[in-house]
Amino acid sequence: MSNYQLHRLVYDWVRAGEVNSADGGDGRVGFDSSPYEVTDEERKAFDTRDVAALYQLGLHHVLLNRFCRAAGFARDDYRKLLEPFGETEERRGRWQR
Amino acid sequence: MAEIVLAYCASHAPMMSSARMAAPEEQRNNFFGALDHIRAEAVARGVQACVVLSNEHFTNFFLENFPQICIGVGEKNWGPTEEWLPIDKVWIPGHEGLANHIAEQTLRSGFDPAFSHLLELDHGIMTVYYELDHDMKLPLVPIVQNCAVPPLMPVRRAYEFGRALGDAIRSYTGLQRVAVVGAGGLSHWIGTPRVGDIAEDFDRWFLERLERGELDQVLDMPDDEIELAGNGNHEMRSWLAVAGAVAPVNATKLAYEPVYPWITGMAVAHWETQHKEETRA
Repeated sequence: MSNYQLHRLVYDWVRAGEVNSADGGDGRVGFDSSPYEVTDEERKAFDTRDVAALYQLGLHHVLLNRFCRAAGFARDDYRKLLEPFGETEERRGRWQR
Repeated sequence: MAEIVLAYCASHAPMMSSARMAAPEEQRNNFFGALDHIRAEAVARGVQACVVLSNEHFTNFFLENFPQICIGVGEKNWGPTEEWLPIDKVWIPGHEGLANHIAEQTLRSGFDPAFSHLLELDHGIMTVYYELDHDMKLPLVPIVQNCAVPPLMPVRRAYEFGRALGDAIRSYTGLQRVAVVGAGGLSHWIGTPRVGDIAEDFDRWFLERLERGELDQVLDMPDDEIELAGNGNHEMRSWLAVAGAVAPVNATKLAYEPVYPWITGMAVAHWETQHKEETRA
């Protein structure tokens, strides 16, 4: 995955705020993104919590969803940010035939 | 030898815990009513431990190393990890004997599951496990599956893993009564422009296949067709593994509700593994 560093950055930030067996969940405060070798565009998208930009940069959908939850989106309320990138699906599944 | 005295699957949308009241009352009552029924059945049947299959959400594994299957063999596991999920964060007792037996026996059956002595459990397992045991004391063997990062295990192989899992449980001598649980699905989209959509037609078709035992129609589905009912639909692997564990028993749908405030087709299905005479005894 060519944008691995972006994925690693987002993953570490999300996990830093969670309550895992070793940490209390306050690691997002003062989180340092500088060691991650991301492009300027990627860094800007992360720093500004730009969901649409992260989607366009190819962030994995599961990780993007977790990022959204951590950034305060409760359910599908980030949909409006992604809808402009939606494509009409022409294919049909076997349950639709 | 252990018996699988309880087998079921349930959807695990985190909003069932974090936004419970957002669902319409009738849908909420139907979904949780089915889980209440399951919990009572677990007590009545004296379940001693549960094996819960669900998918990995980048909680334990990341892109450096992403196993298709990982069995939690430790004496305890932690969860839930999400700071916003309103379930107490606690150590969950494992069952080392059963877990290691499953790991060994599925290896002998031709699978290569990873193992972990400490898994961090997110909503994927914890929402459903909590509904099974509000006290969170029931020994739990967690099994996490890759349902997110290609290449994914083909769904037929997930079913076959379930068959090996069922055989492993039934050959374990350290317990008598075990529950097998799948947590995840049905249709939903996350992290995409279609987040919030539900493919009700797929959900009803899938549940009908499970009830009729027409699994071949599901087991040859390629991933790009599965995704037509949402990228979260890959979580059907947990359901198919449970179906495999108790084959040839067919499922009975206990509830299906397309809960839009929870962005997921929410279902509960049960596989009756006990004859009525045994249930009463």
